[in-house]
This record gives sequence, C-alpha cells and structure tokens, in this order.
Amino acid sequence: MSDEGPAAPDLRSDETAEVVVDRTAPHPIVGVPVIEVAGVWKTYRSGSLEVDALRGVDLCVDRGEYVAVMGPSGSGKSTLMHILGCLDVPTAGTFRLAGDDVRSMSEEDLAQVRNRRIGFVFQQFNLLATLSAWRNVELPLLYAGIERAERRRRSLASLERVGLADRVDHRPGELSGGQQQRVAMARALVTDPDLILADEPTGNLDSVSAGDVLALLADLHRSGRTVVLITHDTEVAAAADRVVRIRDGRILAGAPVGAREVR
Amino acid sequence: MNLLETFRTGLDAVLTHRLRSVLTVLGITIGIAAVILTVGLGEGAQQQVGSEISALGSNLLTVTPGSATSSTGIRGGIGTASTLTVGDAAALASKVVAPDINAVAPATSVQETLVAGTQNWTTTVVGTDPAWLTVRGRSMAEGRFLVAQDLASRADVVVLGATTAQELFGVRDPVGQTVDVAGRPLTVIGVLQPVGSSSAASTAANPDDQAVLPLTTASALLFSGASRNAVSQILVQATSAATLSAAYQETDAELLNLHRVATPAQADFTITSEQQVLSTATSVDRTLTVLLGGIAGISLVVGGIGVMNIMLVSVTERIREIGLRKALGATPRVIRRQFLVEASVLGTVGGVLGALLGIAGALVLPHLISNPIAVSPAAAAAAVAVAVALGVAFGVYPADRAARLEPIDALRTE
Ligand SMILES: Nc1ncnc2c1ncn2[C@@H]1O[C@H](COP(=O)(O)OP(=O)(O)O)[C@@H](O)[C@H]1O
Ligand SMILES: [Mg+2]
Repeated sequence: MSDEGPAAPDLRSDETAEVVVDRTAPHPIVGVPVIEVAGVWKTYRSGSLEVDALRGVDLCVDRGEYVAVMGPSGSGKSTLMHILGCLDVPTAGTFRLAGDDVRSMSEEDLAQVRNRRIGFVFQQFNLLATLSAWRNVELPLLYAGIERAERRRRSLASLERVGLADRVDHRPGELSGGQQQRVAMARALVTDPDLILADEPTGNLDSVSAGDVLALLADLHRSGRTVVLITHDTEVAAAADRVVRIRDGRILAGAPVGAREVR
Repeated sequence: MNLLETFRTGLDAVLTHRLRSVLTVLGITIGIAAVILTVGLGEGAQQQVGSEISALGSNLLTVTPGSATSSTGIRGGIGTASTLTVGDAAALASKVVAPDINAVAPATSVQETLVAGTQNWTTTVVGTDPAWLTVRGRSMAEGRFLVAQDLASRADVVVLGATTAQELFGVRDPVGQTVDVAGRPLTVIGVLQPVGSSSAASTAANPDDQAVLPLTTASALLFSGASRNAVSQILVQATSAATLSAAYQETDAELLNLHRVATPAQADFTITSEQQVLSTATSVDRTLTVLLGGIAGISLVVGGIGVMNIMLVSVTERIREIGLRKALGATPRVIRRQFLVEASVLGTVGGVLGALLGIAGALVLPHLISNPIAVSPAAAAAAVAVAVALGVAFGVYPADRAARLEPIDALRTE
C-alpha cells in the first residue's frame, strides 16, 4: 500500500507494517469494524443539572473508511469523539474498538490503546508551548517506551511528511497556526496508528492552512488509515467518503460513499 | 517510559518554571541551612566546654565550706562558714590517708586593688601554697612560683597573672618590681603562663587575671578578722581521671573524720568535681541545641509545605498539559512519577544548596560571633537526605492529584 501514499513513504516501512499486522492479530476476521458504537448515551452531571450530550448513538466505521461527523455546535460531536478516542466512557450503551469492548479495559489498557492505535488532532492544536516541534511530536513515542535516538528519527520523518522538516527545533509560539496544526498531525501519525480522530482540525485555520490539513488527512486515508473527521462545516465534511450528521445527540442520517450532503 | 526519561521530563518542567523553582528551592535551602547551623552551634558549644574543662583538669575536686544539701539554713550555704582549715589540706596531702590524691592546695581569695606606681588594678588575690601551680595545671612564663620557704617566712612576694602584669606594668618587665597590696609592698617574683581567655561557659574568673600570694602572707594581710587557719577552698587533684571517684571518697571520709561528723548528710563541707560542672554545662547546651534545632526543623517543614503548595499550583496550572499527556498515552503511574521527580528535584537541589550554605555559614560566622560551629559531614549528608525525603513526601499529594485527573476534564479546560 506504500505505493498509494504520494508523500514521503518512509513511515510505511517494513517494521511499522509488521506492527500493523501484530495489532490486528487477535482479530483476524475480515470485516470487524474499527468503530462499533451501539445505543450510546452520555449524560453530564454538574450538581443537580443533567445534560444528555448523546442520546442513543449508533455508528459503525469500517477499516480504511474516511467518515465525517457533521453537526452544529453543541450537538455532541466532541463528546462522541472523546468516547471514540477512549478519553471518556459512555454512560450507557457499548463501544467496541476493533472488536474490544472499551468497558472491559483497565485505565492502563486505555492509555496503551490511545498511545498505539489512535492519533488525535484537536481544534486547539494542544501542543506543549515549552517544547520544540520535534519534542512535541516524540511525546507518544516517549510513552510507548521507545529509545531516544529512534524517537528523534521517527519524529523528524513524521515532521518531514507534513512538510515541516525545516521547523523541527521551533517552538509552537514561533510557528503559524497552520504550521502548529501540522506539527499536531505529525504527532498524531508518528506512532503509525490505525485510527485518526480529528476534532474540528480546521476550525482555527485560514482556508489555505485548512486545505493543507485536509490534504494530509486525505493522504493518510489513502495510505490505509481509518479517519474520522469532526466538523460543523459542510465544505470540510465534503472531503470525506461518508458523512454522518448529528444533532442534539442523535445521528440523523448516514449516507453511503458518493451520496453528498446538500443543505 | 523508563526512569531516566521520567527524570528528564521532570527536570524540564523544573527548568521551564525557573523563577518559581528558585523560590521554592529557597524555602528548603534556608530550612536546611538553619538546621545545620543551629545543630552545629550546639555541637560547637559542647565541644568548647568539653575542651575548656579538660584544660582545667578533669581530675580536680574542689572542697568548699558549708553544705549544698542544707535547706534548713542551720548551716550556712557554700562558702559562708569557714570550717575548712590549712590542717585539713595538710591531712589530705598525706599519701597514707589518701593514696589516690596527687596534690592538695588550700586557697583563699578576695578582690583587692593592686598599686604599682601610678597604676591601679583591682583583681582576685589568691592566698595559697606551692601545690597550687600543679593542681591548677599552670606553668610559669617568667620568674618562679611560690616555694615552701615563702610560706614559712610569710615572705612579701607575689606571682601575677599575665593580664594583671600587663595592666600594672605594661611592656616593662614585672619581675623584681614592687606592687602594693593593702598598703604592703610586695615583690613580684614571677608571671604565670597565660591560658587564654575563658568563654562564658567557664565558671571561674579569668585565669590570666589574678595575683597569687603565700597563704600565710595573705592571711596576715587580708583575712586578719577570720581565723588565720581558715581557707575558702581546698583544691584536690586526683592522681588521674580514673581515680577521681576514689579521691572523692578519700577526701570525703577524711574530712568527715577530721570534722567529727557522724553522718555524711551532716557534712559541713561540699565536694564538687569539674566533671559535674562539665555535665551541667553540656546538658544546658544540649537543651538549647534541641530547642533551636526544633525551631529550625519547623522552618524546614514550612519549606516542605512550600514545595507542596508550588506543586499543587503547578498541577492546577498544567491541567491541560497533563490531559494531553494522558491522551497521548501517559498512564497515571507515569504522570505520578513525573510530578514526584519534580518535587524531589526541588527537594534535592534545596538540600544540597542548604548544606553548602550551612557549611559556608559554619566557616564564616565564627569570625563574627566568636562561637564555634561544628558541622560533621554526616550531619550535612543527613540534612540533604531529609530535604529529598521532604520533597517526595510533600510531592505525593499533588502528584496523586495529577495522576487522577481525567484526561477529558483536563483537555476541556481552557
Ligand atoms: N463536561 C461537561 N459538563 C456538562 N455539559 C457538557 C460537558 N461537555 C459538554 N457538555 C454539553 O454537552 C453538549 C454537547 O457538547 P459537545 O460534545 O462539546 O458539542 P460539540 O462539540 O458538537 O459542539 C453541549 O450542550 C455541552 O454544553
Ligand atoms: Mg466540539
């Protein structure tokens, strides 16, 4: 599949490809969805106030799909992404990640899943201001227990892939918003995860930078990864193969590949 | 994530918030330095008292008239009754009666003004016999000390302490000069070797400022009102420190016998040893050391609370960072360790700086306050260990708070 990726193919080297095989080993059955959400509710309690952010969400994403979750502000998109990213657990319903029920996992397991299998891209970039670009990118590798020289090698390769080879020692404050988001994307793909979760990745960017980010996501999708893109923007959602619309915590419609949303 | 990496990350955080880290470290530094200095002061005072008293002769007993144990007032307090005589001293000097006694010197002293030409100087005038030099462990700088002949003939001679000679004669050679004591001209026959000024810890008056006369001359001249044979103290030197208690018992038994006292409780004299003075002085010092050390210890705890305070602020301020690290795969254990490393780095740096500051203070301060400060390497090492432990102990709670933060709550915070 490396011949499909147009940009720097060195991340798809043999060793990382092996890791992919390894990870999927317990679930060799073809067709097990990467994401399987069934009847998920999420209720936030603050004092006596209860907010149902998700009200029975069903969602299935197959391996290698590029799905956009679209809805207005406050519709529960971020809440859904936090559950998909194992950052939060549903109040009710089940979420299976590549067939594993998240509820059965310990906190350590979840940390490992986030570390090895998921790459996050946030609207606010979430870079550590005191660290240089490559030191930000290496963080997931640090928690994966990878040795320093290897961390640096992979971080630089990842930064090169997002077109920031000449900015590796710059701190976030010395980079433009678009460059910062590309650093965040380099960080998301440095562990070579199956699943990329992007929550309004273009929300804070100008149209040119937003185009760069979407191009990178498309590129990642082409190289075999599952991508879930969260947005409130129809045009952005159009980049995906499939659009899932969400409103008031409920999924409105799922359209198959090619069936574009028109509003 | 291995320990080295955790350490690097923790160190990074400490270095990033430089001013804050410095201020936190300062609290620990001051606390550790204070503990080292106060304990060092106490140690130094104890060592000084010990060496001073051993210089006085730790095998020395002092017999004074009166009873220290009497609370009835029937017999007077120490020194009020002149029940000790030259005869008592002579009896104790006998090797048959008291084999463990090396030398005995009867002594009587009074404050008197000495006159040499136009110079006046008031000092302690001691009437004693030739054994005084041995018993006091003194030696001559110049001239000679009293001899038996001086006592027998009530010679008009005097031996001066170095300070006394200096005050009366300045740079002139005092030996052979004349000093008037109570109107009688006395010839200076010698000057005592100085022993150095005594500190407040010593109970005796300045040993370099006194005039020593034959006891017989002094009695005739200065103590004519009282019995000529009465003395205000008898100094008894045991043959060694080991025989001190034997010498004590021999002295006690012989004096009870001579004074015809049936029960020791009725004794009309008191025997004290320098050892007792030493232990009293050191116990006072020890109390003071414990007290000061306690206060310094409290300042150390305050320093520890400072670490905790800063770590809590740090956790609150870095909620986003913690959340992000967790989202990227940091386990609670790794986060906890990172914050513990930060706290212990603060504690360690504070401890090492505090030990250095304390040692520097111990070297510099004695020149300013004339008190010796003793700092042992073991005490300094212990102080550093305490600082590290303090950092870790006060870092546990903040680290735990950080470790338990939900990644999602942490990420959501603006
Ligand atoms: N921690 C929380 N506590 C209470 N309510 C929350 C919390 N997080 C989100 N919500 C609420 O849940 C709803 C969905 O929020 P969110 O998932 O952030 O929406 P979106 O990302 O689509 O804008 C909103 O009404 C929001 O106010
Ligand atoms: Mg949102």
